[in-house]
Amino acid sequence: MVAIEDIRTRARELLEGGKVRAVLGFRRSSAGLLAEPTFVTELNDVASLVWDATCVHNLALYLVNEKKRQKAERNPDTRPLAVIAKGCDSRAINVLLQENHIARDEVVVLGVSCEGGGVIDVRKLADVLRGKEATAAAYEGLGSVKVTTASGEATLAASDVLADRCLECATAYPSVSDVLFGEKVDERGFSSRFAATKAVAAMTEEERSAFWDGHFERCIRCYACRAVCPMCYCDECVVDSTSFIVGPTTTAEEKANRIRWIQRSTTPADNAMYHMVRAMHLAGRCVDCAECERVCPVNIPLRLLNTSLESEALEMFEYTPGTDPAQPSLISSFRDGDPNDFVR
Amino acid sequence: MTRRAGVFVCHCGTNIAATVDVKNVVSELAKDDGVVFSKDYVYMCSDPGQQSVIDAIKENQLDSVVISCCSPNLHEKTFREASSVGGLNPFQCEIANIREQCAWVHKDRAKATEKAIKITRSAVRRSLRDESLTPLGVPVTRKVMVIGGGIAGIQCSLDLANAGFDVVLVEKQATIGGHMLQLSETFPTLDCSQCILSPKMVEVSKHPKITLMVQSEVTSISGFVGNFKVKVHSKAQYVDPEKCKICDDCAAVCPVVATNQYDVGLTGRRAIHIPFAQAIPASYTLDEEACLGLNPVVCGKCKKACEAGAIDYDRKPTTTDIDVGAIVVATGFDLYGKDKLGEYGHGRYPDVLDGLQFERLCSASGPTGGHVLRPSDQKEPKNVVFIQCSGSRDPENHCAYCSKICCMYTAKHATLYKHHVPDGNAYVFYIDIRSGGKGYEEFVQRSMERDGVMYLRGRASKVYQSKGKLKVLGVDTLSGRNVEIDADMVVLAQAMVPSKGTAEIAKTLKIGRDKDGFLAEAHPKLRPVESVTGGIFLTGAAQSPKDIPETVCQASAAAAKVIQLLSKPELEHNPAVARVRESHCTGCEMCVDACPYEAITLVNGKAHVNEVLCEGCGTCSGTCVRAAIDVKNVTQLQVFEMISACMGG
Amino acid sequence: MSEVLEAPVQAKKEAQEFEPKIVAFLCKWCSSAGSDLAGVSRLQYPPNAVPIQVMCSGSVSPLYILSAFNKGADGVLVSGCHPGDCHYLKGNFFARRRIYLVQKLLKFIGLESDRFRMSWVSAAEGTKYAQVVADFVKDIKALGPQRKLKAKN
Repeated sequence: MVAIEDIRTRARELLEGGKVRAVLGFRRSSAGLLAEPTFVTELNDVASLVWDATCVHNLALYLVNEKKRQKAERNPDTRPLAVIAKGCDSRAINVLLQENHIARDEVVVLGVSCEGGGVIDVRKLADVLRGKEATAAAYEGLGSVKVTTASGEATLAASDVLADRCLECATAYPSVSDVLFGEKVDERGFSSRFAATKAVAAMTEEERSAFWDGHFERCIRCYACRAVCPMCYCDECVVDSTSFIVGPTTTAEEKANRIRWIQRSTTPADNAMYHMVRAMHLAGRCVDCAECERVCPVNIPLRLLNTSLESEALEMFEYTPGTDPAQPSLISSFRDGDPNDFVR
Repeated sequence: MTRRAGVFVCHCGTNIAATVDVKNVVSELAKDDGVVFSKDYVYMCSDPGQQSVIDAIKENQLDSVVISCCSPNLHEKTFREASSVGGLNPFQCEIANIREQCAWVHKDRAKATEKAIKITRSAVRRSLRDESLTPLGVPVTRKVMVIGGGIAGIQCSLDLANAGFDVVLVEKQATIGGHMLQLSETFPTLDCSQCILSPKMVEVSKHPKITLMVQSEVTSISGFVGNFKVKVHSKAQYVDPEKCKICDDCAAVCPVVATNQYDVGLTGRRAIHIPFAQAIPASYTLDEEACLGLNPVVCGKCKKACEAGAIDYDRKPTTTDIDVGAIVVATGFDLYGKDKLGEYGHGRYPDVLDGLQFERLCSASGPTGGHVLRPSDQKEPKNVVFIQCSGSRDPENHCAYCSKICCMYTAKHATLYKHHVPDGNAYVFYIDIRSGGKGYEEFVQRSMERDGVMYLRGRASKVYQSKGKLKVLGVDTLSGRNVEIDADMVVLAQAMVPSKGTAEIAKTLKIGRDKDGFLAEAHPKLRPVESVTGGIFLTGAAQSPKDIPETVCQASAAAAKVIQLLSKPELEHNPAVARVRESHCTGCEMCVDACPYEAITLVNGKAHVNEVLCEGCGTCSGTCVRAAIDVKNVTQLQVFEMISACMGG
Repeated sequence: MSEVLEAPVQAKKEAQEFEPKIVAFLCKWCSSAGSDLAGVSRLQYPPNAVPIQVMCSGSVSPLYILSAFNKGADGVLVSGCHPGDCHYLKGNFFARRRIYLVQKLLKFIGLESDRFRMSWVSAAEGTKYAQVVADFVKDIKALGPQRKLKAKN
């Protein structure tokens, strides 16, 4: 078991020594079950750090946002940032390292193993609890999650309440860390890798088409999926004409020459276009933290788009995003033996 | 600022006009935004046609021109030059191909016209966003590296040096000369190979403009056309060629016997040796691998024996950096592997020889002093079978291609054999006889009619040994009978394959190879001595199987191309290169990884394009997920506009 | 009443007259040259594919393909040099991997896989180019118009 005190001790040491400017971690939220991200800068606040199955956010996003904030600062504190990272967070950090978006010495990675478990899916939990509100959830090991509600504690099957991505996860421990808390557990046995995406792939073409049409129809293009994605760190998004940067140096010609690849309208076709472009731009970069799917207000199973490409990358190109920051990325590399049969 | 485009639609006589309603294309395009002038003409590429473009640019202040005509491969240059005369930047002239890609491939007039409008409109949209570009000027190094010292490399080096250029000739072996030096006589004139080659070798060694580097290999290259930086690794030169007197005292005391490659393994030689009498550089050389040991010195006899003091065991390998403006690759051929011709027993039976071994047997400087004696018992063979197409023209099992020279050298071998052994029988198995070339067919006819060589049309299926004889099984398809010949010796006319070094050098120089491994030329017909990489040229059998006259011819052609390239003080580089939008670049390095030319590096965390290295392929922009890199005049915006035009939007 | 009767007739008429709109991204050195050869050889093929010449198949961004569908293409073809023959040494290898992923993604959302194709056509393969286009047009005709990604103007 990961002892939260160990993490707190390390956080305290780092802050005391002035080695880091803050520790990015989780604390209890006043707004529901899920823990919320926090930047701890004061020693007094270290005790608020928590670690359990409610720590669902991908903290790599906060590294990215912090980077943006810092860029705008006049005299930024250049000391590194410590970040608590579970397996998926750490893979995202690796991709950011691979893409030179952050430098290795800018972060101290406090890796935390999920120890064979994972984080909960609040929608699943709500279903299982039939309306009762949970106040705490922790992975107990051996495939069970202990949930506390007003009416007491209950032990639930992990496969019923953990997020799909956790059930399918092959490496639920950090791929990069300066210090590791908890044991690496490889034996899982919840669900097979890419099970959800394979189920969709197994449908007939008509079924798949109808399945996605039904989902894309609901998209309201709120771009929450993009906002929560640690890989969507571009200042200007190519698929969205509303995010064009206009700075003091932007010329009228530049403004006129912006390409409007996709209409703003929320027709199913344009929505599909948006999600296609996003999926392509995440190919080999998405680490399946599934935050896009979690935050989607209209419940589009967005991670399936990304994992469909992730599974192709693994099976056809032996490429797993976020494992090695030194390797060239999926689409900026090739092998002579790449699939060729599909070409006429 | 609104752009002003002119559209010129060509009838090409009736080539285009027969299928495409040219007038309709003109009137439709005239309605488009930005098009201020449009016309059609029967032959746009004619003088009056070009003049009308020039006049229209001047009279209408056109800043974009589209010529809707044949393929840009034919007249893009013509019309860009005309545009330039009219005062327009040539890079603002675009070609819409409505002949090869439309009029010639469709019959339905209405549909072809509709397509021609789309193609032309697409070019107009692109041209409206074409910027004015100026070719980049790049200074050149007036020095050439020739890789490979066979007849191709020798001829090319001499031509270049005689034209006044400094040449560095790099050869892997201890001497130049290549395979031609191993030949006894050459077809169809039967003049002595060494006699015609050695004067050229001597000329190379004496030429003040040629630096010869033997036992050397190119290990890396950087830079670009006009300015290559090449690293050459040279093995330690234990014998100083300047001091060596070629007295043979060293070899006389050397205790090691190694295989003599020059005689294709038919003889041995010492670890310290001269490859052959006429070697250039004229010097003994120490075979490091065969020697008993140099670190520490195990034997040391040769050094003691050398009165001239030419031997120094402490010499080290060296790496030299050389700047050159152009490179010629002349790395030659090898014979198709013996191990792959199991059916003919090559390698198993000592009397099954390859073509080069037979050359050595016929040569006065060879192991038998010019007498044809078989290796197993040094007896004169009375029945010799020559098997053509050993490994050639056999797509299922071996090489699919024809090695081109084997018909001729087999005829030569059989003739030479008959000259050496007049009472012997020479049999040749052949599929076809390919004897195109000056005096070639006459030579083959002579071998049959005057020298009595027996030609059997068909393949030999198997060679095996039985009771001291080589049995050759085959078929004579003309008589329709199976043939079995008791042979004393079998000579295989093996396929020519690119030399082992060719694959390595292609990788080092980043030049392409074809499906058979030969160096790929830039265009099979029109650019046969250029590689696809600017400034790197090809010649000789590394490019395709060829005989000596053809090789010499191609070597001189490559030299001419190099002279043409380096005769200008500056080279022009296509300015349609990649450009980074720094505001969008995040420095992720995907373009850096994807660039085939290593033209992109990170500078201050942003991608930076070396415009001289960039060839404008756009792989970077296809890879970049942030739309932060574009190729000038084929920008993503331009392609976006072209897609709209093609979709009728 | 008349509406009910006319609807199937109209649909049938549309199916008969359906002429697919195809965008063909051709690399300059191989596939565009190959299509030039088809022209020189006067090979006949359907006029539905409008070529856009790009320098290298490696420059074809997924956005080009998606955008073509968005603008109403019923099919998109990307054609480059055979592996190993790329004028730019390896641009087509990057294209192959990228386009494989685009194809899988489009398939995953249920776009008919026959609508998006990649081919290798060398400068010497005029016949092949004509055949690739003819096959493509035939296959797309059987599918009817593409609506999944087409914008409503």
